[in-house]
Amino acid sequence: MKRSDWPTRIALGIAALLVAGACTQQAAAPSPSGSTPRPTGALVTAQPSSAGGLTSDGKILVRWFVGLGTGGNPEQLGAESAAVAKCNAADGPCTKANIKLALEVYQNDVAYDTLATQIATRNAPDIIGPIGVRALNGFGDQLLDLSKYVQAKTLDTAGIEKNLVDTYIVNGKQIGIPYAVYPSYMYYNKALFKEAGLKEPPHKVGDKYTMPNGSQVDWNWDTVAQVAKILTVDSKGNDATKAGFDAKNITQFGFDFQWTDPRGWATVIGGSGSAVAADGKTAQWPDNWKKAMQWYYDRLWKDHTAPTQDYITALAGGNTFQSGKVAMDFVHTWYTCCVYPGDNTSPVKDWDIAVAPISLDGKITAKLHADTMGILSSTLHADAAVLAMNFVMTQPEIVVTYGAMPAKAADRKAFFSALDKKFEKLNPTKIDWQVASSMLSYTESVNHEANLPNFLKSDAAIKQLQSDMLTNATLNIDTRVGDLVKSLQGTFGGN
Amino acid sequence: MMLTLARRESLWGLAFISPWILGALVFTLLPMGASFVISLTNFDPRYPDAVQSVGLANYQRLLTDPLVLQSLGVTVKFAALMLPLTLGVSLGLAMLVNNRRLLGRNVFRTLFYMPTQIPLVATTLIWQGVLNLHTGWLNSVLGLFGVGGPDWLNSTVWVYPGLSLISLWGTGTMMLIALAGLQSVPTELYEAARIDGAGKWAQFRNVTLPMVSPVLFYNLIIALIGTFQYFTQAYVLTNGRGDPDNATLFFNLNLYREGWRYYDMGYAATLAWLLFVIVLALTVVLFRTRSRWVYEGAAR
Repeated sequence: MKRSDWPTRIALGIAALLVAGACTQQAAAPSPSGSTPRPTGALVTAQPSSAGGLTSDGKILVRWFVGLGTGGNPEQLGAESAAVAKCNAADGPCTKANIKLALEVYQNDVAYDTLATQIATRNAPDIIGPIGVRALNGFGDQLLDLSKYVQAKTLDTAGIEKNLVDTYIVNGKQIGIPYAVYPSYMYYNKALFKEAGLKEPPHKVGDKYTMPNGSQVDWNWDTVAQVAKILTVDSKGNDATKAGFDAKNITQFGFDFQWTDPRGWATVIGGSGSAVAADGKTAQWPDNWKKAMQWYYDRLWKDHTAPTQDYITALAGGNTFQSGKVAMDFVHTWYTCCVYPGDNTSPVKDWDIAVAPISLDGKITAKLHADTMGILSSTLHADAAVLAMNFVMTQPEIVVTYGAMPAKAADRKAFFSALDKKFEKLNPTKIDWQVASSMLSYTESVNHEANLPNFLKSDAAIKQLQSDMLTNATLNIDTRVGDLVKSLQGTFGGN
Repeated sequence: MMLTLARRESLWGLAFISPWILGALVFTLLPMGASFVISLTNFDPRYPDAVQSVGLANYQRLLTDPLVLQSLGVTVKFAALMLPLTLGVSLGLAMLVNNRRLLGRNVFRTLFYMPTQIPLVATTLIWQGVLNLHTGWLNSVLGLFGVGGPDWLNSTVWVYPGLSLISLWGTGTMMLIALAGLQSVPTELYEAARIDGAGKWAQFRNVTLPMVSPVLFYNLIIALIGTFQYFTQAYVLTNGRGDPDNATLFFNLNLYREGWRYYDMGYAATLAWLLFVIVLALTVVLFRTRSRWVYEGAAR
């Protein structure tokens, strides 16, 4: 080019930058369950009804709103639609009762706003669910008292532990019945353990872990920290125990806490606790939780064995275990939705599950998620809604697609068989599902997502701690937790 | 009675713009009125029956809410960086693609405009990858020169340049407007300037800038309003939290949080009115000072 061609050179340079920017790979955000950020949008929107909640052909319209817990993932839509079609079929229970069941599915991050808007415009659905503990904190007081249906056995609670049924008695109202439980445990990538020459973590509570030197040690969080160092590798192949380990170029991490928040971290690492004192109005962060925060922060920024925010974003858009670059990940049963979404899509070829490590308080604590379905008290057709809800809750394909371990113990065998079938072509290992069942005996005494005064703001303040821990390498955890408690006390007071 | 021609034309004109008038009434003025009424209540969409009037309590709260000042500070800081940058870059790009010596001018005009066609959420997600501390290509390129790239999105200092880069990627529309302005500058003015001995810089300063100043003024107003309404990028990058350490808690994001995270619609409506008043005041100031720095022809 000639000297006078400088405009073309500059333009080409800028164009190259534009093209390079456009060509950058950015993994799509995954679609897990619960309170996880996901792609925005409605998968199936509301159907119009005439006055009185009737369809144009005179049937009772029952609207089922999905998205407040699991169920809002595109891959779950097929099973939900199939269940609705089955109910609406000529010989289906809905048709026999002159009901038309209509499905509305929203992805989790828009579901709350959508439901609030529908309630505000007096266009609320009839059935909402599955809803987790968090969603109950937002909408629980809008739900219909189902006591009379439970007493009349229209809603079947046989075979469900009474304490689980009673969990959903709020202010004297039975606002739901247990539908699914999601115990948590350690997912681990067998291939990465094998590659590092490490023994796999224990599948039975009380079993020891065998370290590389042959010593038998307790399976606790200190052991996890040590093993995670060996499993964390930089771009030159050095693991985190080596002197030359480069923390700025890590290609594989020892472990992660995928899709949870500080109360989740604290409960599993530190043991049961609560951010509100027994008086229901004093903010606190118990000592075992403070220690847990420090422990995790050290893994993030001192050992570099757990991914910080920049790395989390780069690892499969946040679905870190599925990236194949995380050796251990502490998640719930619902993660079976997303650990292997389909053929030839995931680098995780060979995985299994292990029991929760012993918490810092000396006990095992495996945090629990639980889902229910409920009926909004604004419904015009409560009986019809109960009938339709009962049908949906008992459909096996729905249970499997939600990764929803049935609240009824008798139904669990079929559930695990269905999961085995789902994974048989994808994972050479038969997953040891007894681990999941066994963790139900070690759930926290206060749910890690339990209600707090002024919940939405209090929860946001706790999420801010999470964000700070994942992005700021220079935090003083004691000070930061102290600030959180002050902030919570303010929000508890209504500020 | 016969209508005069002028009256008939006025009526026809009103008839033709009546769809717009109707739209403005129904979709702008009515919601604004509703928003003002809501700002005087404690409206929570989950409890439509529990709505109560709170008088001016929400407006009083504005004065004591530290996040109002914080979010205004973030917005003003970003505006101070972004406004000159976007105006300068869009004008620079316009001059580049207006240059006669540029080969394939139309290709480059199209190429520079194209990013504006990509949905903002997609653009932001792409840039989230570009600006990643560990895996982003920007830091990889800096690394080739031995420069350790900053943590663009998680540093309270670097997040503003990071967001500016994202915004600059979408300056295509402003570039086109500036290009239209440049193309309307009469060539005789440049010829006269050259005869008078003006060099390139003098021509730019004394001919180009004054002649395109009305276009720059328009771009400034649009960019100012856009900056005060800045939301999508901050929301997508931080899931609405305003990370790091509230450094991206823009005014609009704070408004969104109050309204749609905490369902405090009354207070959110109050924040919206504060935003309206601020933007209106700034726009009025710009219009009032326009005559000092915008060239509007010899007729003035």
